[in-house]
Amino acid sequence: MVKYVLKRAGMSIVTIFLLITVVFFLVRLMPGDPFNNGKMTPEIQANMEAYYGFDKPLPVQYVKYLGNILQGDLGYSMKYTNRTVIDTIKGSFPYSFDLGIRALVFAISFGLVLGTLAALNRGKKLDFVCIMIAIIGTSVPDFIMGSVLQYFFGIKWGLLPVAQYLGFQYTILPSIAVGFYTLASISRLMRAGMLEVVQQDYIKTAKAKGLSKWRITWKHQIRNAIMPVVTMLGPVVAAVLTGTFVIEALFAIPGMGKYYVESVQMQDYTMVLGMTIFYGSFLIIANLLVDIAYGLIDPRIRLAGK
Amino acid sequence: MKRKLMAILMSLTFIVGMAAGCSTPDTKVEDANQSNESEGSSDNTLRYSLESEPPTLDPQLANSIPSATVLYHMFDGLLRNEEGEVKPAAAESYEVSEDGMTYTFQLRETYWSDGEKVKAEDFVYGIQRLLDPAAASDYSFIGLIIKNASQVNTGELPVEELGISAPDESTVVIELENPADYFPSMLSNSSFMPCRKDYVEKYGKDFAADPENNVYNGPFTVTKWAHGDRITLEKNDQYWDADNVKIDKVEVLTVADANTAVAMFDKGELDFADVPTPLSANYQGQTISYYDGANDYLKLNQAEGPFTSKNLRLAVNYAVNRSEYVKLAHDDIYEANTRFVLPQVNGVEGEYGDEYPYEAFPAEGDADKAKEYLAGALKDLGVSKPEDITVELLTADSEKNRKEAEVLQAQIQEALGIVVEIKQVPYKQRLQMENEKDFQMVFTGWVPDYPDPISYLELWTTDSPYNHAGYSSEVYDGYIETANTTTDSKERMDALFNAEKTFCEDAVVVPLQLRQKEMLVNDKLKGLETYFVGINYDYLHAYFVD
Repeated sequence: MVKYVLKRAGMSIVTIFLLITVVFFLVRLMPGDPFNNGKMTPEIQANMEAYYGFDKPLPVQYVKYLGNILQGDLGYSMKYTNRTVIDTIKGSFPYSFDLGIRALVFAISFGLVLGTLAALNRGKKLDFVCIMIAIIGTSVPDFIMGSVLQYFFGIKWGLLPVAQYLGFQYTILPSIAVGFYTLASISRLMRAGMLEVVQQDYIKTAKAKGLSKWRITWKHQIRNAIMPVVTMLGPVVAAVLTGTFVIEALFAIPGMGKYYVESVQMQDYTMVLGMTIFYGSFLIIANLLVDIAYGLIDPRIRLAGK
Repeated sequence: MKRKLMAILMSLTFIVGMAAGCSTPDTKVEDANQSNESEGSSDNTLRYSLESEPPTLDPQLANSIPSATVLYHMFDGLLRNEEGEVKPAAAESYEVSEDGMTYTFQLRETYWSDGEKVKAEDFVYGIQRLLDPAAASDYSFIGLIIKNASQVNTGELPVEELGISAPDESTVVIELENPADYFPSMLSNSSFMPCRKDYVEKYGKDFAADPENNVYNGPFTVTKWAHGDRITLEKNDQYWDADNVKIDKVEVLTVADANTAVAMFDKGELDFADVPTPLSANYQGQTISYYDGANDYLKLNQAEGPFTSKNLRLAVNYAVNRSEYVKLAHDDIYEANTRFVLPQVNGVEGEYGDEYPYEAFPAEGDADKAKEYLAGALKDLGVSKPEDITVELLTADSEKNRKEAEVLQAQIQEALGIVVEIKQVPYKQRLQMENEKDFQMVFTGWVPDYPDPISYLELWTTDSPYNHAGYSSEVYDGYIETANTTTDSKERMDALFNAEKTFCEDAVVVPLQLRQKEMLVNDKLKGLETYFVGINYDYLHAYFVD
């Protein structure tokens, strides 16, 4: 097990390093330049480039940047000139994280329940309702869901706040908007998993043994059916925690998403790299954790992976 | 079955309860500040929102109108440009030399928010810092009017050689490169605000990053900056004119989505909000309209390509039906521009547009004249049929740009029969292509930095770094030269007007639109001003009524 974890951790570090390198050079290839604001003169531009060290050859800049990263220095943003990339992340990520966690709690809890209920009531009305919810969740994009929720619950009926992130009631609509797609996926996977598992031999054995329905459902069915859900959870968690940009913009939540998108448009190199490193590491670590969790839950994986 | 359901329901309740109990980041902070209802009249707090957060509150590094608007309320420059009227601010009086090149300001006795006196050296330091290459301000171009500014900026001369000095603690002397009637109005810009050297040296790159990393001498001070969320300003009792500031507190929120901002206004959470074009129909008659100073046009490359032909340039100018264009592309919210300079800028005494009325091209276009010029263009370019002429319309990649381009394409193709191809690229790339003259016809614009015609006209002299159209006219250069050397205001304005006429007669660009915005304002809020140069809103003298 330890060997397994170490091997995966080592590969993760290599992946992150590759990511940084590729993005560093890729971002410079973008046409246009970071300083031109339509009112730049050639002299001022030359001065800015010297100030940021962009007049040195690219490999030299790369080495310097790597050196800085290893000391924990991600540099200052080129657009938010007085703020470091790390401070920006520290100030905004908690909001994205908070929103993402709430969305996940919503998606996982309701998704599992919905999927289980649907499977247990297969063919009946409850199943149909659950399937409909899943279809809506999968096909409606998050910003439409968000806008619709904001319009009806916020503006028209005035039941919940329209924007900002100042307390529990403010988090309800954004969390639902962010989590709905995941809820739909989880409920469908859970339903399919439960239905498949119920046909397995060991369920028949358990029934023959005289175990109560409750015990069968919980101890055997759910635990096995949940495997596909756990598999997707790693990337899903990372995606939800980092993919809140549109909803943040819609509900005026001061999260991190906008820096990610905006830094590319504005060619704020330090911010682009900082965001890439952060998100990339996050995803890679999330996947690593899922692999480890997988190994723990399912002994078959652990043994096979050796 | 029932037990199972009960168990599930209980777990769900547990989870929801946990979620409700966990507070959002920062909730514990000052709930009084962040109340749901604006109720501006009861807590005397003005709330408004910006689509994007001011990137910086450092006066010399600020490069956007949202930053400039907030800075205008935090600092006090030598003079203050209140919607076209230049009033004394930190300086209670000033004199101009005979040749118009030297300005001498007398400071009144004012104090910074930390109790220190505002000294002349603070202004010298601030303005030197603007041009200092070590500060790397991308807005330093605005200071190039000052003597030796461009040499200081490139490092040829040391900062001390800049044409600004403090003969004593309460006198500031500024020398210019050439006479400029509009210079006093520029001093209201955030770039020319005073700056405390001790704070810059103490905080280095972190200067002004947070409220405590700077001090303020304006009507409001910054008390809190929740990055990405809101900036909180509070009335500065040290401000010399504090008696005329009626609002106690201002909250500048960041709300990226314009529709959300309007929704927040409807719920009373904001005191004013811009209405995006698609929603403007819903608020007919409830909004006020203001110019934001931006002037958009099609820049035509006359160094190479089909637009070297003046006839073709004129043909396109008469082919475009500007009235119809603003209606189709912008729901009539923008105003069609039939000349070049924004008419609202300052003339000699009043508005430039009133003193020098001018229509270069008819608002509805002129199909016959267009065809006349087209005939000339065909000869210039050596082709026999209009279809043989293909021009490329370059623009940025937003939805709005697409719509604008399609309307123009349709109009030009229909009126002239030539082929127009649309090319959309990201904004930064478009800027670069303009710099490199890699375009034939590009949709671009100009936002003025000061309310004078020359802000638009100095771009087109032969040696201007902003002249990407390849336009070179001795006559035009001559008029600009006159405007920059004469000390007679009327003679200067006449020269500028002649320059504008020459410019339009040479059809250097296709003027299109003057951008306007529609704004909803809380009925209980009075005294809010809008302006088209440097800042969008002025709430210095705003107040609430019951």
